[in-house]
Amino acid sequence: MTITTRALSLTVNGKAVGPVEVPETTMMIDFLHEQLNLTGSRLGCGIGVCHACTVILDHPDGRSEEWRTCITGAHFFAGKSVRTIEGHAQRDERGEVVKLTPVQQAFIEGFAFQCGYCTPGFVTGATVLLDQLKRQPVARQDIERVIHAALDRHICRCTGYVRYYEAVRKVVLATPGLVKD
Amino acid sequence: MRRWIRIVLVFAGLGVLAFATLHFGVLERSVVAADLDSPLSSEELGKLAARGRYLVVAADCYACHTYKDGPAWAGGLPFETPFGEIHATNITPDPEYGIGKWTRRDFHRALRDGIAPGGRHLYPAMPYVSYRDLTADDVDAIYAYLMAQEPVNRPNVANDLTFPNNIRSLVGAWNLFALRDPEQPDAAKSTAWNRGRYLTNALGHCGECHTPRNFMMAMKRDRYLEGGIIDGVEAPDITRDTLALVGFEPDGLARFMRLGVSSVGSMTGPMFEVVHFSTQYLDDADLTAMAAYLLGEPPPPVKPIMPAKVSVKVSESGQRTWFALCAGCHGIEGQGVPHVSVPMRSNSSLRIPSARGFLTSVMHGIAQQDFPGLERMQAMPGFAEHLSDQEIADLATWMRAIWGGQGAAVTAAEVAKLRSSI
Repeated sequence: MTITTRALSLTVNGKAVGPVEVPETTMMIDFLHEQLNLTGSRLGCGIGVCHACTVILDHPDGRSEEWRTCITGAHFFAGKSVRTIEGHAQRDERGEVVKLTPVQQAFIEGFAFQCGYCTPGFVTGATVLLDQLKRQPVARQDIERVIHAALDRHICRCTGYVRYYEAVRKVVLATPGLVKD
Repeated sequence: MRRWIRIVLVFAGLGVLAFATLHFGVLERSVVAADLDSPLSSEELGKLAARGRYLVVAADCYACHTYKDGPAWAGGLPFETPFGEIHATNITPDPEYGIGKWTRRDFHRALRDGIAPGGRHLYPAMPYVSYRDLTADDVDAIYAYLMAQEPVNRPNVANDLTFPNNIRSLVGAWNLFALRDPEQPDAAKSTAWNRGRYLTNALGHCGECHTPRNFMMAMKRDRYLEGGIIDGVEAPDITRDTLALVGFEPDGLARFMRLGVSSVGSMTGPMFEVVHFSTQYLDDADLTAMAAYLLGEPPPPVKPIMPAKVSVKVSESGQRTWFALCAGCHGIEGQGVPHVSVPMRSNSSLRIPSARGFLTSVMHGIAQQDFPGLERMQAMPGFAEHLSDQEIADLATWMRAIWGGQGAAVTAAEVAKLRSSI
């Protein structure tokens, strides 16, 4: 099988990227790391299990979805809009981070992680969950279940998940409109 | 006018007569011999039970007669059929809800004639059509094993069948067409072949799923093992030529039944249960015998697959989807990843004329699965939402052509039809 390149254009963190020549066999994680220098998404298992490599795929209709970049080809994202971990916090004109998102802030304040390798994935997963709850609020008694269902596939080897889940619950409860009375 | 009344009366009378005939089993052909009336002694039962243990595994009784995470043999598993819902029954020796009061003869009648004590016809979801071929000795051993199990006082779940399928006596009429005389050993074939046929057809009752059914829902005997559709999922053709076509030689087929996974792919859907509860525990000699029967003696040679022609347009479209969504796990060249994903370039689902099984997997995914011997496959996501009918069709056409040697194009209409049916 001959490996050829193809022009790729997409939107990453709100900015248009490309057209740039990308081998058609390149996985998204490698494209982000090698060609865009966005090294925040983590390559963990490389087989789609640990979810450290996920990014947000924003659909034109406002839905957002988590995608694993280690097992998805870069060209899958052609014409699509993607949010990586670098695109969450607010930045100034020079590109320096000036304000974290509530999820990121809660993870830090709650000591949710130690080594941090899985954190980009957890931020991504929790952010997608918050987006979903904005569209479809959840009953108070279902919060724990919904958080568990949303983040269950993310693997963490240091802290045992509890602090991640508690931090996300704190954000869900503190954000107006996510919980039904 | 009076003549019409007479005709109606005659037909009604015939109907009543036919019903009574079926109900009382006048036309029924039992294969249970009279000598089975004598009960087995407790010593005989004790001796037989050990062999029975192996036989219930080979017959895979557990998969149906044990509810998920429920007490062993206490029944409850529901079956969705076109005629309504049927529930597997309690087959523990509980005298109230199980088979505790069944005599040796009762048990033989149920397994081989499909008739429970009191003349109650079993529904053919219980594979008595296949178990009819079991030897009397083996049925005795299964009886001995089940009677030695812990009784569970769990009531059976009532079936929920539509009229007229809820009339049990009608199964008697069905039996007249569906039941036949037991298979006799074929002297022209080897001992292994005959043993393999017995394991496959009688104990394993493989034909129940892998054989197409006629309008009466009976197995088409002239197309035995040529593949059927169960709950919308294809049970593939497992006749000799098709098995050879998809790349099975005898050792490989025996290993596949032992492990559930090989270079041709992994067991999917209901076959997960078959490998978990049954085939992984079979003796090497028995698995070899099944392979000898299924592939024949001598087995057909496995021929290399020659890629079929595929247009540049379809090739580009298929390859684009492959690199975008498939290659990440199945490898750029379809070589697969050990313990993660099956190879596609040698995958059986691409080498058969029907694309249905392949398309079902692409659209709806496959759950993560543990296989015997610490082997496992990761979950495969379904891509129905992410790909158009045309994209799925092109992917299937391209993969089937280059790796499966199947030249017939899969059409978008075919994908659309399957999409709406599952």
